[in-house]
Order: sequence, then structure tokens, then C-alpha cells
Amino acid sequence: MLETINLSKSFKGKKVVQDLNLYLADGESVGLLGPNGAGKSTTISMISTLIKPTSGRITMNGVNAIDKPGEIRRVSGVVPQELALYQELSAYENLKFFGSTYKLRGKELAKAIQQALEFVGLDDRKKDLVRTYSGGMKRRLNIASALLHRPQILILDEPTVGIDPQSRNHILEAVRALNQQEGTTVLYTSHYMEEVEQLCDRLYIMDHGKVIAAGTKEELLRILSTEDKIKVEVNKLDEAFVEQVKTIEGVYKIEVTELQLKIIAAKGTSLISKLVHLTEKHQIQLLNFHTETPSLEDVFLHLTGRTLRD
Amino acid sequence: MRSFIKKDLLIFLRDWKELLTVLLLPIVLVVVLNFAFAGLFDSDDEVTMDLQLAVVNQDNESEVLGQLKERLVHDAAFEEQEAKAVAEAAGEIQPVQLLSDYLESDEVKEWVTVHHLEEKAAAEKVKEGDLDGMLIIPQGYTADSLYANITGEPPTSSLIYKIEEETTTSSALQQFIQGFIEQLNYQFAIQEITDGTGIEAALPNGGLEDIGTAYDFTMTQYFTIALGALFALFVVATVAMKTGVEIRDHIFNRILLANSHPMRFLIGKMAAAVCLIVLQILFVLLVSHFMMGVFPDRSFVFWVGILLMVVLLAFVLSGLAAIYTAVLLRMTSIDAANGIFMLATLLFGTLGGGFFPIYMLPDWLQQIGVWTPNGLFLAILTEWIQFENPSTIVRPSMFMIGFFFLFTFIGLALFPKRGKAQ
Repeated sequence: MLETINLSKSFKGKKVVQDLNLYLADGESVGLLGPNGAGKSTTISMISTLIKPTSGRITMNGVNAIDKPGEIRRVSGVVPQELALYQELSAYENLKFFGSTYKLRGKELAKAIQQALEFVGLDDRKKDLVRTYSGGMKRRLNIASALLHRPQILILDEPTVGIDPQSRNHILEAVRALNQQEGTTVLYTSHYMEEVEQLCDRLYIMDHGKVIAAGTKEELLRILSTEDKIKVEVNKLDEAFVEQVKTIEGVYKIEVTELQLKIIAAKGTSLISKLVHLTEKHQIQLLNFHTETPSLEDVFLHLTGRTLRD
Repeated sequence: MRSFIKKDLLIFLRDWKELLTVLLLPIVLVVVLNFAFAGLFDSDDEVTMDLQLAVVNQDNESEVLGQLKERLVHDAAFEEQEAKAVAEAAGEIQPVQLLSDYLESDEVKEWVTVHHLEEKAAAEKVKEGDLDGMLIIPQGYTADSLYANITGEPPTSSLIYKIEEETTTSSALQQFIQGFIEQLNYQFAIQEITDGTGIEAALPNGGLEDIGTAYDFTMTQYFTIALGALFALFVVATVAMKTGVEIRDHIFNRILLANSHPMRFLIGKMAAAVCLIVLQILFVLLVSHFMMGVFPDRSFVFWVGILLMVVLLAFVLSGLAAIYTAVLLRMTSIDAANGIFMLATLLFGTLGGGFFPIYMLPDWLQQIGVWTPNGLFLAILTEWIQFENPSTIVRPSMFMIGFFFLFTFIGLALFPKRGKAQ
């Protein structure tokens, strides 16, 4: 349905998105995951036809959407990262204005406003000025403004930044409902791994303007199928002990936090017996020991060498 | 389109700080400046003017009695003896002598230097700018004035005032001559100078025209109009600056993504600017009027004229709003754009006489000032208030319409094409 082919964007000679290949099938929920500065918002801006790519193509049902931006604009609703709302207008007035920009009129507009307000749970506050809203309520209205024309594709750019858990859950539930009940195709960008895990069928992981991995959650986790992640808690730590753990064959990486060690090692490494041996040698008491199932966060860490919030 | 206009109006009207600035501040300033400048002009040594007036007397006073008697007999069916007696009695009032006394009086002499010249010489000196204006007392003026007074018929001749071009000094001179007309009318015991006895009110406009009845143009009126127009410029800047907020908050992008034509956005801004400016200036004029009696005893037609001029200014300034909006969409720094708009507002305000009376500026700046939208508006309303004659404001109104089209064209030309906005 929507596809990007070798999409690139440069600002002042600096490539912020490089050769991005991405597709969204009808009814899919796709996540675009990456840390700040990865190029997610630029990608969203290009896909939503707000900025023109430096090179590459965007097609919507086979039609070049760069030359004909209306192809995408007609069927998509974009929720920007920023609160694109008039603070001096009420929620109702905002929706009425944005609905009219989609050429909705009269009863059709009133019905769309009512549905959008109910969908994001703001019906009882619709007459209040937006500037009196909490951050979460503004985020919900930001989403409602993109739903008025019942888009086939909903593009959300970090829609839960800086809001309370309750509003965040509300937004995630709403997006899931749109995708699963209404069949709306969703492109969701975030640097919150758990949101993307919860919502999306497929993921694209971006870093430094490039897609570094893509696939379903299971496919991505398989990247780490050759590794074990072991968490060890001890009663005391000394440098010599840590250095000796690092020398164990198969250990890739160690993270030390107070009295805890996170060890990433090759699958099948006989780590337990070697650790027990080392703790006895250094007169350290082993308090806890367990193997963790790898998460997408671990996949990201593995691929980029840093966490999503770095 | 209606939704774009409504949105801009609501946003502006809910901004209390902005509302207080553009509605109440001008009224406060009218009161303050009125007092301040009244004090300035009341003092003896602050302002001096040396107006140069040529007086061309074509009337032959020795023939007055004969001419008057003859007209009374032939045109008013007076008996010979009766006509002679009336003419002799009426002859006691000598309008030309009164004029001479008036111009030589201490009150006027301080301001006006009179040169008695032939018409040709006077016209040349006026044309060359050596003199500010010339006053012609036409042949038979005295007899005609007296005849009109006796019979109650409209006079067939009147004083002729000629200037090369309208300036502040020529307007002041005209005020002095008007003062004389009033004195003369008093002498004739005419109770009302505006009773429509056929004397046409017309501003000299480079040609030979009669001066006639005119209303006083007061300092309060000046400041009410000048400040109303000045704050209308602030309304324009504010409307444009709201675009900055729309860009910063990515609302403009949201409008673009709705596949809505960006021109709707621009035209919406212009239409909202028209509505806001009309409301703002009318508020300032009406509140000032009801508080200070700025325009006393004026007709319905006068107010209709005021409304038309205000609407005309609003259209011109909506064109300016289009330029500002387009510039803002092109610039990368919203703050820099806002700074430019404020500078432009202050510049227009200063040149157009918004901060102090325009005739306190040097002549060359006055000439430039008239070409600012607010300066032109001030000039038009100055004439309208004094003479209430539509023919005198047609030409400057055409300039206003020209400004509207020019500004709108520039705004549309500067408006970024799709994808070029910052």
C-alpha cells in the first residue's frame, strides 16, 4: 500500500535519512523505533509529504506520492510530535476548524467531532480552552484532530512524549482499537520500546538515519538467539573479580551496577560453574542468579551499542 | 474560508493583553497627548509660523454704492430712494476693509505676512513657493456680499483662495481666512455659517477654488484618528505574529497536511485583519467621541464617510498583513520576523503622524508620511472632517485602493509555493 524506496534526506549536506526502504500493508501496525536523532521524525515528515526527500521514492498504491502529495494526504492522518493545537480555542473549536480543513461540513463535521471527542475521552471537556488542559489531554486532542476524516493510515510521531501513565495507556488503547477494530493502518514512531512492542506487528529499528533491522518482534529477537543474558547479584564486588569474569570464554559484555552484574555471553557457555568458582576464589557470596529472556531493548543495544534513551 | 476567518478572530479576541493594547491604549493616549500638545500650543514661545499670503484686490470700493443701488433697483425691485438709503446704510460695512483690518490685527499679524500684489505676480510667487497662498477679492465682491446680506439671496461671488499644493502651512492659512469669513458673517449677523446658503465647501487643490464653510479640525480629532490608525498597524503585526505561533506549533503543517490550499490560510488572515481593524478603529473613534465629544454635531453622512474610509484602510492594511504573513512563512527565524514587523510598524507610525503631529516633521518627511497607509488615511480624514466633501477625497481614496492591490499582489507573490515554507 505505502512504500518508500531508497528514501534519503540531507540538510545542509548532512544525511539525516539514508536509503530507507519501508512498506506498510493495509491494516498493519508498524513501529519505527530509534533513539532521539535517529531520523524518525524526518522520515515521518517525508512520508506524510510535508518535506520532499533529497532522493528516493514514496509510492501510495503504486502512485508516486512525491509528485502527487494529495494521494497520501487524502487518506492519512498525521499526529505530530508537537501539540499542533490552538491553545486559545476550545477542543470543540479546534476540531471544528481542523475538520473544516478536511472539507467536512454541517452534520458530517458535527458527527466526526463528536466521535473523535468520545474516542479520546474528552467529550466532557470539549468547551474548555486547550490551554487549560493537562499535557495528556492535549496529546489526546492532538490525536483526535488527525482522526476527523477517518483516515486509512494513521501516522503517529511519538504521541506519548511527556505525559502521565493514565493518558499514555488511553492513547495506546485508542490506537490499538483503531488498528484492530477499524482496520486503520498505523505507523507508530517511538523511543519507548514497550509501546512499540505492545502495539506493532512489525518493527523498523533506525539509528543514525538508517534502518538497522526490520521484522516482526520474533524475528528481531532471533537476532539474539545466540546469546544469553544473565543477571548476577553478589554481597560485594571487587575489580579483580569483574576482570576475571570478563575473561571467561564466551562473555561479550558486562554491565556493573552496584552489587549487580549483567552479563551477555554466547549461548551454551558454562557460565554458572565458572562464576561459582570465581566467587569462592574471591570470597564473594552469590546472592541471586537468573537468566533473562532478551527484549527488543537488548536487540537495540546489541545492534547499536547503546540504549534507546541514550 | 469562514472557518479560517473565525479562527483568527477568536484567537485575537481571546488575547486580553492584545485587546487592551489595541483598544484601550489608543484612547488613553488620545487623552494624554491631547493635554500634552494642547499645553504646547497654549504656550507663547513653543511654536511659530510665518505664513506668506498674497492679497489681490480686484474690487473697486468706490463703485460699491452705485453697483449696490443699481442691483437693488433692478433685481430686488427697490424704489430708487429706498435703494439709495439702504445702500448707504449697508455701505457702513466694508468687507475688504474688514479683511485688511483682520489681517493686520495683532492676533493674525504674528502668524501671517500679507503682500498686496497683482494677480499675475502673486500667482507666480505662489507657484515658485515664495508664498504659501493667495487670496483674491474678486471684482464686485463687496457689492455682491452686501446685496446678498440685504436680500437674503445667496452671494454670486466669493473670496478665492489659491495654493500650489496642499501643505500644513497652506491649511493653516486657510484656517485664518476662514476666521475672517466668520468675522464677516458675524458682521452680517448671519447666525449660522453652515446654513447652506450656496457657499461651497471645497479644499483648494492646486487650482482656483472657492473657500467656503469648513469645520474646525482639532488636536483631539487628529490624535484620535492618528492613534486609531497607528494601533491598526499593531493589529496587523499581531495577526501576522499569530502566524509565527502557528508555524512554531506546527499547526500550519497540519493545515497543509489536510490538503487544504495554503492560499485559504493567507486570505483568511487578510479577511480577519479587515474585520479586526474595522472593529478596532471604530471602537477608538466612537469611544473617544462619546468620552470627549471629538466629532460634535456631525451628520449621518459624515459618519458613513468615516466608516467607508475605515473600511478602506482596513483593506489596505489587510494587504500589509498578507505581506507580513508571507515574509514570516519564508523566514527561518520567527523572532527576527516579528522584530521586522515591529520596526515597520514604528516606522509607519512615525512617518504617518502616529506619535506626534505630522506637521512637526520636516517637509520632506511629511511628503513621505502621506505615502504611508496611516498617513494617507489621516490626510483623507482630515479633509473629510473639515469639508465633508466627497469630491476632495476621491483621489486619495484611489491611492488607498491602489495600496490595497499593490500590497496584496506583493503578499501573494511572496507567499511561498507548496513545500517552500519554513
